[in-house]
Amino acid sequence: MTQLILFNVFNGLVVGAFYALMALGLSLILNLTGVINFAHGGFLALGAYIAYTLLPYVGFWGALVIAPVLTALVGIVVERVLIRRLYGRDPLYSLLLTFGLAFIFEDGTRFIWGAQSVPYQIPASLTTALSPSLFFLTGYRVFMVVLVAAAVAGLFLLLTRTRLGMRIRAGTLDLETVSVLGVNVRILRNLNFGLGIYLAGLAGVLAAGMLGLQPTIGTSLIMPSFVAIIVGGLGSLPGTLLGGILIGVASGVTTVFFPSATEAVMYVMMGIVLLVLPRGLLGEEGRF
Amino acid sequence: MSLLRVEGVSRSFGSVVAVKEVTMTVQPGELRAVIGPNGAGKTTFFNMISGFFPPTKGRIFFADHEITAMPSHRRVALGIARTFQITEIFPELTVRENLRIAVEVASKHRLSLWLSRENETRIEARVAALIELGGLSAKADRQVSELTHGAQRATEIMMALALEPRLLLLDEPTAGMGDDETYHIVRLVRRLHKDQKLAIVLVEHDMRVIFNLADRITVLAEGSALAEGTPDEIAKSEAVQAAYLGKVR
Amino acid sequence: MRKHWGSGVIWLLLFTMPFWMLAVGGYTELAARIVVLGLAAMALNFLLGFTGVLSFGHAAYFGLGAYGVGMTIKYLFPSTAAGVVIGVAAGTLAGAIIGALIVKLRGVYFAMVTIAFGQVFYFIAFRWNSVTGGDDGLTGWGRQPINLGFTTLDIQGNDKAFYYFVLALFTISVAVMALLLRGPFGRTLLAIRENERRARFLGIPIELHIWLSFVISCFFASLAGALFALVNNFTDPRFLRWDQSGTFVIMAVMGGMRSFWGPLMGATVYVLLQDYLSSHTENWMSFVGLVFVLVVLFFPRGIVGTARTRTVAEP
Repeated sequence: MTQLILFNVFNGLVVGAFYALMALGLSLILNLTGVINFAHGGFLALGAYIAYTLLPYVGFWGALVIAPVLTALVGIVVERVLIRRLYGRDPLYSLLLTFGLAFIFEDGTRFIWGAQSVPYQIPASLTTALSPSLFFLTGYRVFMVVLVAAAVAGLFLLLTRTRLGMRIRAGTLDLETVSVLGVNVRILRNLNFGLGIYLAGLAGVLAAGMLGLQPTIGTSLIMPSFVAIIVGGLGSLPGTLLGGILIGVASGVTTVFFPSATEAVMYVMMGIVLLVLPRGLLGEEGRF
Repeated sequence: MSLLRVEGVSRSFGSVVAVKEVTMTVQPGELRAVIGPNGAGKTTFFNMISGFFPPTKGRIFFADHEITAMPSHRRVALGIARTFQITEIFPELTVRENLRIAVEVASKHRLSLWLSRENETRIEARVAALIELGGLSAKADRQVSELTHGAQRATEIMMALALEPRLLLLDEPTAGMGDDETYHIVRLVRRLHKDQKLAIVLVEHDMRVIFNLADRITVLAEGSALAEGTPDEIAKSEAVQAAYLGKVR
Repeated sequence: MRKHWGSGVIWLLLFTMPFWMLAVGGYTELAARIVVLGLAAMALNFLLGFTGVLSFGHAAYFGLGAYGVGMTIKYLFPSTAAGVVIGVAAGTLAGAIIGALIVKLRGVYFAMVTIAFGQVFYFIAFRWNSVTGGDDGLTGWGRQPINLGFTTLDIQGNDKAFYYFVLALFTISVAVMALLLRGPFGRTLLAIRENERRARFLGIPIELHIWLSFVISCFFASLAGALFALVNNFTDPRFLRWDQSGTFVIMAVMGGMRSFWGPLMGATVYVLLQDYLSSHTENWMSFVGLVFVLVVLFFPRGIVGTARTRTVAEP
C-alpha cells in the first residue's frame, strides 16, 4: 500500500511537472499580451509529431533538441500572421481565434500523420527501472522530472538574467512604459510567444515518450494547464509552477483511492482555492 | 448634527501612504471643496468616502451610520452619490436611457421585470425633469458617446442626482473643459447647492471654480490635512501658500 | 417598424420550416437542431451580449440538461416532461453554484475559470461508465409521447409533432428572455455591460445581478440541452466538452452578439455549414476552425452587426 501511494505520488509529480511546463508557456503569453492561447495544446501535438518525424534521422536526443525549436518557429509565424491582430481587443476574440486554431491543428495532425495512435521510441537506457524495489522509478520518468526542472530553471534564469527576459518581465507589468523606453514591443511580444510555444513543443516531445502519439494529445492536456494557472494565480509564474505540481500530485493520490475522480479532483481543488483565495495561491490583486 | 464625519482615516498602498489621518466634518447643505497639489491624496480620500475601497485606518460616519467598510451600493442607498474624474456613463445609450436606468434603480425597481403604467409615467416624468434641469433637452435622444465633454459631464451629474442623494461627491467636475463648458457646469453645481440645498463635496483644481462655489475648503498636502476654513481664510493662509508655491518651485 | 417586420419574418420561417425544409434539401430533424442550438446560443448571449460577461463554459449546463433528461427517462420514469424538468433543474442548480464562485472575477480570468469548471461535468460523464455510458454516451432511451390529458402528443413517432413541441418551448423561452431584457432588470444588465463602475455607483449590486443573469442564462442553456438530447434520442459526453462551449460562443458572435436574433442566425449558419461539411469532407473540423478565424478577423460584429453598419453607411 505504501508503495502504491508512493508510486502515485511520484507519478503525480511527473504529471504535475509536465502540466507546469505546459502551463508556464501559456502563462508567459497570457501575462504579456492578455491572450489565452487555446491552441497551446495544438502546438504541443505539433511538437510531438515533428519529433516523431525527425526521430529516424536524428535520434531521440536530436529530436528532443530540434523539435521544440521548429515548433517555436511555427509559433512565431502564427503570432506574426494572426495573433498580433488581436492585441488590445476584447479577450473574446483571442479565445475564439486560438480556439479555431486548435481545431485546425488537431485536424491537421490527423490529416498528415493519421488518426491512429503511434508509439514513440525512447532509448533503452531510459526504460529500465532504477531498482527492483522501486519498480515505478523508470529512467524515463526521472528523466522527465529532471528535464522539466532544468527547463524551468533555464526559464527563470532567462527571465531574471538576460536583457530579453528583463524586458518581458517589465512589459508584463507595464507594456506602455517599456515601449516608451525604446523597446520594440512587436518583437518583444513575438519572441515571448515563441518562447511560450517552445515550452509547449518541449512538453510535446516529453508527452510523446510517455503517452505515445495521437492527434488529440494536445486538447486533452490543455485543461489541466488552465487549472494549474488558476490555482497558482493569474499573472504569477511561480504560482503556475506550484499550481501544476499541486494538481498533478493531487490527481496522483486520488487515483489510489477513487480512480474515477482522477480528473475531477483538480477542479474541486480549483473551486476551493477560488472560494478561499479568489486570486489564486500566488496571484496579485488587480493584475487580471 | 453633521452629515458626513471622517475620523482620522489613512490609506496605504503597499508601503506608500496616500492619505494620513485626515479628519473632516461636513454639515447638511454645505458645499465643501477639497483642494491640494497633485499627489496630495485627494482622489484616494474621495474613494474612501464613496466606498471604492475602505481605509486602512480610521472611521467614516454618514448621518450617524458607520460606513467605514460598507459596500458602495449600500452607501448609495443611504444617500451618497458620486461622479468620476474621467466621466463614467453608459456610452452606447442615449441621455434619456442613461438617466432612466438611474431613476429606475433609485426608485427600487432594479429587480422589477416590468413597470406598471403608473410607475412608468412617474419615471418618465422624473427623467424629463432631470433632462430639463441639466440643460440637456436638445440632446436627450442622442447617444452620449457622441456628445461634448461638457454634456457628458452634465449627464453624469444628473445620473448622480437621479439617486436623490443627501451628499453629492464630485471628483474634478470641470477637468479638461473649456471656459464655456466650465461655466455651465459651475452654474449647474451652484443651482443644485442653492436650490436643492444639497450637500456637496468636490475635488477641484481650478481655483476660480473653488472660490466661486465653496462654503468651506479643506486643503490636503502629501496626504495630510493642512488647513480648513472659509475661502477667505484659506486664501490668506501662509501654510497653504507655502505648500502650493513649494510645489510650483 | 423595421425591427417588427424582421421579427415577423423570423417567426414565419420558424413556424413553416417543416413544410419547406425537405424541398430545399434539408430534413425535419435538421430544423429541430437549428431551433434548439439557436436557443442555446441566445441563452449564452443573454450573458455575453446583454450583460457583457464572457462564459466559455456553457456546454456544461447544456450537457447537464441533456444527461438529466436522458438519465431520468432511462432510470427513473419514462416521461419526457419529468426528464426535461429534472434536466433543467440540474443545469440551473450547477449554474447557480458555479456562478456564485466566480461572480467576483472579470474578463480573461472569468473566461478561463468558466472553461475550466465546464470540464468537471465532462470528466464525470466520461469516467462514470456504469451510469452515463462513458465515452459511448447514454443510449437505450428515447423521447416519450406526452400525455396532455385531453390528447396525446406523439413526439416519439411524428417528426413534425416533435418539431412543434420544440418550437413551442423555444417560443416561450424567447418571449421570457425578451421580456426580461425589456424591463428595468434587463436595463441594469445593459448598464453593467456598458460601464460596470457607473452601474456600481448607481447602487446596483453588480455581483448579484451578474449572478442572476448567469443563472437565467444557464436555465435556458440547460433547457436547450434537454431538447437537444430529445432531438438525438442520445446523449454524448461531447455535449459537455469545451469545444461545444466554444461553438455556442462562435454562433453568438457570428450572428451578432449585440442583436437579439443574431445568435439564432449564427446557429443556423453554423448548423447548416457543419451538416454540409461533415457529409462532404473528412476534414470538416479544419473548415470549422477556419470559420472561427475568419469571423474573428473579418466579421467581429457578426451578420447582424455588419448589416447594420452597412445600412447606416448608405442611408
